[in-house]
Amino acid sequence: MEGNKLYTLKRENLDQVLNIWNKKSSVYVPVGQGKDINLMPLGEAERTEDYINLTLPVKEMIFEQKENLFKWKRNEQEIEVDSLAHQHRKDRILYGVRACDTYGVAYTDRFFLQEFPDPNYQSRRSQTTIIAVNCLEAGQHCFCTSVGTGVFSTIGHDLAFTPMGSYFLVEAGTDKGQALVSEAGTFFNETDDNILKKKNALKEKTEESFPLKMDLTNLWEDMSKTFNAAFWTDEANACIGCTGCTNVCPTCTCFNVVEENSDLNQGQRVRYWDSCQSDHFTRNAEHHNPRDSVSRVRYRIYDKLKYIEERFGFKGCSGCGRCTDVCPTYISIIDIIASTQKAAKENPEPPAIHQTTAIRHEIKDRELKSLKGLYTPDIATITRVKQETPEIKRIFMKYDDPDLHKNYEYKGQFFQVTVFGEGEVPLSIPFGPDQTDELVFDFKNVGSVTNVLYQMKEGDKVGLRGPYGRAFPYDILKGRNLIFIGSGVAMAPLRTVIEPVVKHPNDFNQVIILASALRYEKLIYKDEMKEWEKNKNLTVKYALKDPSDEVDAHVGYVNDLLPELDLDWSNTTALVCASPRRIKKVARDLMDLGMKPSDILVTLETHMRCGAGKCGHCKVGSHYMCVDGPVFNYEEMMALPPEY
Amino acid sequence: MDDISGAELILVIGSNTTEQHPLASTRIFEALEKGAELYVVDPRRIRLTDFAHAYAAIEPGTNLPMINAMIHVIIKDNLVDRDFIKKRTENYEEMKKSVENCTPEWAESISKVPADTIRQFAHKYATTDKAMILFTMGVTQQTTGVKSIRALANLAMITGHVGRPSTGINPLRGQNNVQGAGDMAALPDFLPGYQRPEWQQTKDRFTKIWGDFSCLRGRNIIEMFNLMDEGIMKAAYIVGENPILSDPDQNHTIHCLEKIPFLVVQDIFLTETAEYADVVLPAASFLEREGTYTNTDRRVQMIHKVIEPVGDSKPDWEIMIEIMKRVGMDVKYQCPSDIMDEINEATEIYGGITHERIHDVGIQWPCPDKEHPGTPILHVGEFKRGKGLFTVNDFEFIGDQRTDEYPYLLTTGRVTHQYHTGTMTRKVWTLAREYPHGFVEIHPKDAENLGIKNHQPVKITSARGSIVAPALITDRINEKTLFVPFHFSESPANRLTGQNLDPIINIPALKVSAVRIEVE
Ligand SMILES: Cc1cc2nc3c(=O)[nH]c(=O)nc-3n(C[C@H](O)[C@H](O)[C@H](O)COP(=O)(O)OP(=O)(O)OC[C@H]3O[C@@H](n4cnc5c(N)ncnc54)[C@H](O)[C@@H]3O)c2cc1C
Ligand code: SF4
Ligand code: SF4
Ligand code: FES
Repeated sequence: MEGNKLYTLKRENLDQVLNIWNKKSSVYVPVGQGKDINLMPLGEAERTEDYINLTLPVKEMIFEQKENLFKWKRNEQEIEVDSLAHQHRKDRILYGVRACDTYGVAYTDRFFLQEFPDPNYQSRRSQTTIIAVNCLEAGQHCFCTSVGTGVFSTIGHDLAFTPMGSYFLVEAGTDKGQALVSEAGTFFNETDDNILKKKNALKEKTEESFPLKMDLTNLWEDMSKTFNAAFWTDEANACIGCTGCTNVCPTCTCFNVVEENSDLNQGQRVRYWDSCQSDHFTRNAEHHNPRDSVSRVRYRIYDKLKYIEERFGFKGCSGCGRCTDVCPTYISIIDIIASTQKAAKENPEPPAIHQTTAIRHEIKDRELKSLKGLYTPDIATITRVKQETPEIKRIFMKYDDPDLHKNYEYKGQFFQVTVFGEGEVPLSIPFGPDQTDELVFDFKNVGSVTNVLYQMKEGDKVGLRGPYGRAFPYDILKGRNLIFIGSGVAMAPLRTVIEPVVKHPNDFNQVIILASALRYEKLIYKDEMKEWEKNKNLTVKYALKDPSDEVDAHVGYVNDLLPELDLDWSNTTALVCASPRRIKKVARDLMDLGMKPSDILVTLETHMRCGAGKCGHCKVGSHYMCVDGPVFNYEEMMALPPEY
Repeated sequence: MDDISGAELILVIGSNTTEQHPLASTRIFEALEKGAELYVVDPRRIRLTDFAHAYAAIEPGTNLPMINAMIHVIIKDNLVDRDFIKKRTENYEEMKKSVENCTPEWAESISKVPADTIRQFAHKYATTDKAMILFTMGVTQQTTGVKSIRALANLAMITGHVGRPSTGINPLRGQNNVQGAGDMAALPDFLPGYQRPEWQQTKDRFTKIWGDFSCLRGRNIIEMFNLMDEGIMKAAYIVGENPILSDPDQNHTIHCLEKIPFLVVQDIFLTETAEYADVVLPAASFLEREGTYTNTDRRVQMIHKVIEPVGDSKPDWEIMIEIMKRVGMDVKYQCPSDIMDEINEATEIYGGITHERIHDVGIQWPCPDKEHPGTPILHVGEFKRGKGLFTVNDFEFIGDQRTDEYPYLLTTGRVTHQYHTGTMTRKVWTLAREYPHGFVEIHPKDAENLGIKNHQPVKITSARGSIVAPALITDRINEKTLFVPFHFSESPANRLTGQNLDPIINIPALKVSAVRIEVE
């Protein structure tokens, strides 16, 4: 937008102006009293100017508490899928938003609209105009001036109003805002820069009136020294996981994906706000929960004060104070900042490596080819099913739209597979880049979705989104020794590399596959492994808990096999897929043998819902396992907070 | 409720307040911020114990000996409030005599709470000016439930902790309208407003409003199920209750519901109980109707309709009116406030509580007339019955105890994210996800002895039946003690609980059952 034009608007004309705008759009204004202030359509209830802040951040008007993602319907054999339009009936003008919330919107814009743009947010946002009304008074827990997001709105608004006695100073922040001024042009008087002096004086006066002032200059350093401080246990003991704090936060963006079925043959996938403060937000297979109560409570605070800014360059906390207002057990981000600063001074720990290393992965600007939007799957038909082990099946499928196979680019690690009516699960890609006419997945029957998938047969339809995630690198492996380590279904992700390696054996030195399982029957790719082994430079070694007649296997852990391998370890890359606990054990042994941590490639499969860096379930520190991973090298893995 | 935050000592007995009454616990935290101390008595190291200044890990079912021993200590160490006892109570000497032998050592032998801890609790309670007691089902759902509450009353009275702000003994209600339901006589022996049907003035009052009506004492739920079993009770109309999960001895409950010739269930969802019904009447939820709830604080509050009733469902009052019409009664109510008008007329305590008056924050009963502001604290200056009566509450073992066959004591309860029998909360993904299924808490030592691993399914058996649930190993529970939440129909805690009743008011001893546990 060119030049920042300045206007004045007489207070007595405000209602007329709002009414003019209300003709083309729906104008929402603050109504209510005390702490219960909501944005409501103009005219439905009496507008108020007497409020500190809206009860809920304006975010709820753009990223709604519940949103439809798509609907599906089964017609005989076919399944039809419709992305749902998310248009408001009319454009919306939201009047009376405070600086902390306009800042929040600036951040959510950044978050939702880049790298895998969120179609729901995009459509609602494009229909929303935001008018800030600057505060002249602070609430009990306001600290926007300490984080630097307020007290007057600087970003995220289309128009900003500053009350100046009998009139408002009106500043346009965007073309959209400018257009609104033009729409009710007769009421706005252009004015010059001189008024800004007055504005600044008002701003300073308001800032001075703030009950809370904190110096946050060294906060990150203080945080790096207090990651395990004792006060976190007290906070965690107090938190009952009611999720109130995240529900009122302008920068909370996490959601869960839920199936809502009308009957067996049709339904919708919807998303609801979700909260990292619920215990099972991150729960993974086999009761593995990477966050306990301490890391859960700490994570929210670290995300707000550090991780968000680290990744997106925006403050993750806009200082609105709502989470402190709302907490039934008096957990306060303000007190926690104070505790952090105190503990850093009195009782500092050696700085936590994951809070000091700046391993920032390039944030890839990626967009899916799907025209239907990020969350809507494409239909595929199952062509074949193979029983791999008593609990694992191999399932082959083709897109119904053959063009999709042509468009399909090999640049991911997993797909999101939908079983209509039941849900969606991330499954790894167990095939090489050359295979472009058919998709295959190997999966274990562990729960609700995989159980239904397990019953499916040739001709049944599923939905696919993807591919997502950072894959194992291929080209950089050429010329090296490779060692693949996986157990059970965890061999699947390794197969993406094994297949091309087997096809181009001369590109590599020695290749070793270490396959482990409780029993031989529980191994996948039993036949293939015998086939692969026919390559001169490829050896398969088995580590089983129970001895087997089928193969010559070591009875015990894979780790036991490592020392006897005669490899030039400095020219070896290891590819490991296992639970984080197993990964650490294997990696330690490999490093003892002389491997560099950066040559050990691992995959971290945390709980995932969206696959595209939006739902927040998979986040570890400032990284999204679905976008930045799941493949990392061990050095990178160690630079993550130990919460995977 | 705000009273709590003013207390200097909060004694919590048998109440998992943070998880079951989070907003009440907010007040506890407020009090702690102001420097109050928190004393907790519970067989589980509930979350509150993390903040407690003293904690008594008590055996399930043995509150009474501990309370009596506290009284014993207070009397012996001369910490009683003589003035209060003299002016405001009667029967002190009798009570005093009854606790003569209740030494802390004796109580320790039963409750496993160290005698010195009991002394500490007694001294602290007696010497703190603003000391209040909070309790819930952990006290009531035992064979000694009523006695325990009476003993608590004794405790409060000998120390003068009654009728002043931030004192008293305060039950926290498990449900939004338990209080209201009791006020409106969902009790066998009262008419609305706690008026005894035997009293002539009550009879007259209600005859004036209702005309002739039956005035016999009703039956409580336990008696009713026994009458079903005996074939005497031929029809039942169950409104908003899921006894298959919430009542003790599930096998017996199911047997009775199968046996009864005619069963009507009125609920907002098709509950486990509704599966046995001949007629199911779909009720509307709180969002779909007008009316009032009365909370723990005796505060009568409005609820407002937000959406129209879904499908064929109707608000409970409308359903009942339809039934009244069909049995030929004359119905004069058009809307909930008409019913409230009748309540105003029929009861003293709700005399002045009208829908118009309670719009914003509600009114606390007693509120006898339309000018009355309501009553935040009961028993100021004088007890309702005149003088406070000390009672004698001797402890005796009734019901389940550990045996060789059943060497564990089971206590039951709830988890934060599920409500009661889960009919509502298990349908909400965000709550269901937190606790998708039942579990049994067991102490690490017991688990080790039995070779039980975390999350491993185990079988728990009592004399009544058995259930299977995954084990949750935690040192938050006492040794030889188990905890199972009762929300989950796949592992229904109440298949294990029994018909041991409090002999005085027949509350079942849901909190104490002898069981054994084994690897499935
Ligand atoms: C990147 C990635 C690749 C994967 N690749 C494969 C694969 O190739 N083959 C395979 O068999 N499995 C794979 N998994 C695991 C698979 O996604 C889960 O087993 C599946 O989501 C379970 O869903 P469910 O509905 O059947 O089970 P549920 O009934 O939902 O739960 C069963 C258990 O699985 C856990 N779980 C549920 N959803 C997820 C999730 N989205 N991510 C991780 N754990 C979850 C639950 O917490 C629970 O403990 C992968 C996971 C990730 C993150
Ligand atoms: S973390 Fe708390 S203070 Fe910060 S923006 Fe969110 S709700 Fe407001
Ligand atoms: S509002 Fe408080 S108690 Fe609730 S989840 Fe947040 S921190 Fe925990
Ligand atoms: S952010 Fe949704 S799975 Fe990673």
